[in-house]
Amino acid sequence: MSAEITKVGIICCSGEAIAEGTISRLATRRVLELLRPNATVTLCLPLFLAGNEGERNFAKTHPTITIDGCDKQCAKWGTEEHSGPVSAALVVTDILGTQATGCHRSSRQASQPEKEAVWAVAERIAAEVDSVMAETELRDGATAQADGAHCSCSSPIPGGKLAIAGAAVTIPGLSLIFEQCAERNIPADITGCAALLDTVKIYHRVPPDEEGEYRSALLAAYQDFRNGGKAAR
Amino acid sequence: MGNECVDNAVLVIPCSGIGKVHGLISREATYLVTDELAPEQTETMCLALLVKGDPGAVEAVRTHACIAIDGCAKACAEKNVQIAGGAVAKAIQVAEAFKNHRGAKPGSATMLTDEGWAITREIAGSIISEVERLRASEEVAR
Repeated sequence: MSAEITKVGIICCSGEAIAEGTISRLATRRVLELLRPNATVTLCLPLFLAGNEGERNFAKTHPTITIDGCDKQCAKWGTEEHSGPVSAALVVTDILGTQATGCHRSSRQASQPEKEAVWAVAERIAAEVDSVMAETELRDGATAQADGAHCSCSSPIPGGKLAIAGAAVTIPGLSLIFEQCAERNIPADITGCAALLDTVKIYHRVPPDEEGEYRSALLAAYQDFRNGGKAAR
Repeated sequence: MGNECVDNAVLVIPCSGIGKVHGLISREATYLVTDELAPEQTETMCLALLVKGDPGAVEAVRTHACIAIDGCAKACAEKNVQIAGGAVAKAIQVAEAFKNHRGAKPGSATMLTDEGWAITREIAGSIISEVERLRASEEVAR
């Protein structure tokens, strides 16, 4: 059994000319910062393609997922050309279908369709990261660090703290999760508890015997968030 | 909008950086120009498509004037246009623009603040000036 730490490399499309490229980059950042901050790193595609040896070596020794905006699949092509087969290759247009129609490439024009597209792609990437991690752990016995890890170019976003069973529990990106809940009109009262917990469980492991405490703590933090409080920010 | 390049358009090619705010500024400055300020005179393309050696992308940079907007000193956009056989009429470094905004908090890799947008607009202004110069001197196509 190896004690080596495994992280999954995510190489996304640079796709400056198309809205799907913007979606691929924003979704990748969301995975790095919020969904799987301890398990992922990213690589800059043109730098990788243009011959940065350090980044190419990383892709040779770590499982890598590519996220392409269109079927030209520049990220997959480049990674396989220089580093060998990728663990998974996702294409934004395959994930979203017609959902990307009408999305903009500039963040200035981003509205609800863009936000929903980014969430959908990010959640698909996170699921693929989990799958790759599970395969890697089965094969090598390797595990990602539980904390203290961050992507190659920036740190994960701060988490929000909840008091669970007398201990402080940090949930990465809790404010972003609450933003998402607010956009989905999840009410900040007892009727929203189940939806709040379900949403947080996508990003954070909740032990079954602590779900009741999580429900109460999340509702209190969400109410504070909706009232402009700073607890989750 | 895509990777098609109309005749006489100036190609504005931004950095693909995903780790810092500089890459985002380079792209947003490009979109300000290509989508709003000079949509008939400019176009952009995917840098990775060029690096990949896509024949259409390579042909486009060889036959159109190019402006490269890079986030960092590694200058991937500028270098890759040159490697593909294109001529960079002007290379802009986002980091240079920060010299006039010491202490500014421009935002993150995914979102710009008002200060970030101010820097972005300045860079877009530099791009427009160069586009106008290229068009005045009829250097837009080769």
